Amino acid sequence: MYVAIKLDKEKCIGCKMCIFVCPEANVIAFCPKSKKVEVNEARCKGCGLCVVACPKDALSLDNN
Amino acid sequence: MTKNILKMSPAFADIIPAEYRELVDNGPYGRDVGVAELGTFKELLEEHPLCAGCGLALALRIFLASLPAPEDTIVVGSTGCSSLVFPQAAVQNIHSLFGNQNSVASGLKRALKLRFPDKDKDVIVVAGDGATADIGLDMVMHSWFRRENITTIMLDNEAYANTGGQESGMSQQGTVLYMAPKGKNFPKISMPELAREAGCVYVAVGTPAQPRKLEKMLKRAIILARHVGPTYVQIMTPCPTNYKFKNNETVNRLKGLEKDGVFKPREYITAEAQEALNRLEEVSK
Ligand SMILES: Cc1ncc(C[n+]2csc(CCOP(=O)(O)OP(=O)(O)O)c2C)c(N)n1
Ligand SMILES: [Mg+2]
Repeated sequence: MYVAIKLDKEKCIGCKMCIFVCPEANVIAFCPKSKKVEVNEARCKGCGLCVVACPKDALSLDNN
Repeated sequence: MTKNILKMSPAFADIIPAEYRELVDNGPYGRDVGVAELGTFKELLEEHPLCAGCGLALALRIFLASLPAPEDTIVVGSTGCSSLVFPQAAVQNIHSLFGNQNSVASGLKRALKLRFPDKDKDVIVVAGDGATADIGLDMVMHSWFRRENITTIMLDNEAYANTGGQESGMSQQGTVLYMAPKGKNFPKISMPELAREAGCVYVAVGTPAQPRKLEKMLKRAIILARHVGPTYVQIMTPCPTNYKFKNNETVNRLKGLEKDGVFKPREYITAEAQEALNRLEEVSK
């Protein structure tokens, strides 16, 4: 089973809170054009710190 | 070192790993990027083997983004969880014998001063609480007594995490861990106050739950070590594996410990260092 976060782009407001709590490097990137974040799921360990930090519930942990 | 040393030969471009190429094209070298810009540049850290939700990994990520001159930085490490990260980090690193980190850093800094008299080379010690406050305490203290121009950073997870959870001098009194079943029977060492008395010109206790503030502390510590004297930064980095909390709770735990007064961020600075800081911050404006 591989655990990684899922991003709901519609809900993202680009506050970058998720970027500041992630213990892994280069997982969540900020796109200056769309002013939203992008997730590299292959690098995610699924700790869920960003899910807790997100003020808009744009991130979720799907266990499969 | 300049960025040129990192550039790859065009003939090898197709076999160079993508991560390395990203680092050359979009890394932080020679650029004015810091914690606020995280997510928009390629970080110095690559995928590392630390546990999911590791507070220490978060602190190191912020540390690497805070370096004022990553290309002229040498990190001296010691055995522990942090030493598992540096093989994946694009900074120069020396892994020393457990506890010897501040002695190795002292010698290195002196040699670099002779070899590069006109250039600032930042020698930064990054080690765990066991390495700093217990096994390496005499080497740490004596480097401060001698006023070596190095920065000492302790990643305080309040345990010997790497060896399965023994208590350290930095664990809170009463802490029960996998290999401390009866609970620790003496209080946490006041390392920041020891550092202040032992000659550190700047001492800070920070938390990765406040990344911008932590960045400021780290930058101050590194710059003041160049110009004034030894500096010490202690970063609280909770360990979900040994303290048995969920790995999505690390940041909330940090905030909770601070709210309950168990963990107190603080800063000490000497008059001399404050004066130097005012001067330096004036120049950089
Ligand atoms: C000279 C020596 N003594 C003991 C050890 C065993 N050892 C490896 S890691 C470690 C504990 C590290 O604790 P800490 O410095 O707090 O780092 P953490 O793993 O918690 O980040 C110990 C005792 C060693 N590697 N070398
Ligand atoms: Mg430790």
